[in-house]
Amino acid sequence: MSRGTSAETGEEVVTATNVSRTYHLGDQPVHAIDDVSLSLDRGSFTAVMGPSGSGKSTLMNLLGCLDTPDEGEVVIDGREVSTLSDARRARLRGTEIGFIFQTFNLMPRLTAAENVTLPMVFNRGVDTGRRERAEQLLNRVGLGDRLDHRPNELSGGQRQRVAISRALVNEPSLVLADEPTGNLDTDTGGAIMALFEELNAEGRTILMVTHERHIAEYADRIVHLVDGKIEEIEDVEDVTPTGGDWV
Amino acid sequence: MKLLESIRISWRAITGHKLRSTLTTLGIIIGIGVVIAFQVFGGGLQEDLLGDIQEDQDPLITVQTQTDQSFGRQTVSVNIYTQTDVNRLRNISGVEYVAPQARLSSGDLRYEEGSIPGGSGFGALFTVGATDASLFDASLFNMTKGEAFSAPDEAVVNEGLVELSKDNLSVGDSFTVKINGTDEEFTISGIVDDGDTGSPQPTVYVPLEYYTTTTETPRGTQERAYPALLIGAESFDQLESVQDRADDYLQNESDAQELIDDVDDQIVIQVQTIEETLEQFSNILDQITQFLAGIAALSLLVGSIGIANIMIVSVTERTREIGIMKAVGARKRDVIQLFLVEALILGVIGAIFGVLVGLGFGYIGVSLLGWPMVYPLDWIVIAVFVGIVVGVISGLYPAWRAARVDPIEALRRE
Repeated sequence: MSRGTSAETGEEVVTATNVSRTYHLGDQPVHAIDDVSLSLDRGSFTAVMGPSGSGKSTLMNLLGCLDTPDEGEVVIDGREVSTLSDARRARLRGTEIGFIFQTFNLMPRLTAAENVTLPMVFNRGVDTGRRERAEQLLNRVGLGDRLDHRPNELSGGQRQRVAISRALVNEPSLVLADEPTGNLDTDTGGAIMALFEELNAEGRTILMVTHERHIAEYADRIVHLVDGKIEEIEDVEDVTPTGGDWV
Repeated sequence: MKLLESIRISWRAITGHKLRSTLTTLGIIIGIGVVIAFQVFGGGLQEDLLGDIQEDQDPLITVQTQTDQSFGRQTVSVNIYTQTDVNRLRNISGVEYVAPQARLSSGDLRYEEGSIPGGSGFGALFTVGATDASLFDASLFNMTKGEAFSAPDEAVVNEGLVELSKDNLSVGDSFTVKINGTDEEFTISGIVDDGDTGSPQPTVYVPLEYYTTTTETPRGTQERAYPALLIGAESFDQLESVQDRADDYLQNESDAQELIDDVDDQIVIQVQTIEETLEQFSNILDQITQFLAGIAALSLLVGSIGIANIMIVSVTERTREIGIMKAVGARKRDVIQLFLVEALILGVIGAIFGVLVGLGFGYIGVSLLGWPMVYPLDWIVIAVFVGIVVGVISGLYPAWRAARVDPIEALRRE
């Protein structure tokens, strides 16, 4: 597959239109996201940057179907999220979104392979070939020999690789990563970012929240959020260290 | 989510906290264990006392005098059933025989090889009963050797007495026993197994001639009178009608009816089929068993509070895990299912171990007491069912709380 960018395919996976989300801290309304419009094309790699409190996480929750906007609409895969029932949104999360967290968020009592296939458990109908699927995905991130290890038997980088495999298990339309390297040292973080590039090169759509410039530069474009509003969308020149053609 | 899937995941959560899970189920185990143990005791006692009378019994009716109380009726021994009553009862249609039952005061029983202490005190090891030979026609009395007595100097002894003589007494042997102050010599005509009658103490059965207790009848005459009668009906079909007629006679026209008022107006004549007699007895036993089991069942309440408590703790502890599951596609229903299944597993495991513990203690108990072991199947089924119900009920609230966990909040936690 050739490297997919928005310019090349033009197909939108997620669209947020005039989205606002307001929290109430006591009597004070907090406009976490204020009239934001953003769309992610299939195969695009977008980074979201901004100071803390700028609404990065809220935006990610909205795009990831964990939250619904007070105003505006979020359309994922042709479906308007706020019109869906709780259960349908959960189903949509399971099938169309893959989450990757700063703190990995693996189930402590499940093995690596079981963690990877956890989304399949809640996705009725997919109950065969789980082990094979886990093996395939973990092999791919270099953990083929760690299938039956518990998270506490794995290093941080290895845990994040398990989490990435989990995010991919249902072949989602969109991968959402929240500070994926935040808990990792520079080398390990670099390796994880290389993996993200690889995934993007395969045509996967990725949205990554980060506050580190050099991490954000792995993306095609960087969305700068300030006080819940998009201040600037910056296109990144192809200067990423591992740029180039991928097989 | 498939049920099997949630069982697998919940089981992982339970075995992840072995000590906690064990302590949690302990309440259920103790509650159900005690209930089952009581059922085993009650059933064993009943089985021991009533044995297999229920099977192959005869169409028998007992006539007894009892205190007039609904709970804990007691049989009293008053000599009110006169010979006239016996004779009249014998003339009722459908009656095959009427066997009066009376106890005689006796001295020691002496035989060639030794003697057995008698009398009426605590030292007495056997009793002497006077009865009609027809009594032994009833299958309640199983003649294992010889036959019923047919002459005044013949007697039937039961197996308990033979045992007491260290097997020295057998059919054809003679013994003497002092009855009413006179040494009487008897030859054993038969040995009977009367273990099913509920009075398996060593007994010598002698003909009615030796029973000399008389009572003044309402007509002013002296007649022999007995404390209890056994009426045999000709067939099961006639049992009820015989019972009705005997009851009608005894309650309205008999000497006994007139004599009873002289004794105590708190007592009544009871005409019951042997089945009713046994039923009355087992009802009392049942009531006691049920009462004790009911108290034990209270600990089930404690047990379910324990499960609910630990599940709530568990929900709080696993908030983050719940958030993860929701993020990867778990619906509220899936989360509820997971926690309900977990509570259910705890309840069912508690019930199963409770049943095993109850049967174990029950077995040890009845073994020590020499009662037969019974397996209260209905109660075992009830126990497992209760385990399921307790599990579900105590899991409902925690599961609901788990389902309400906000994934955004949960995942933000460190």
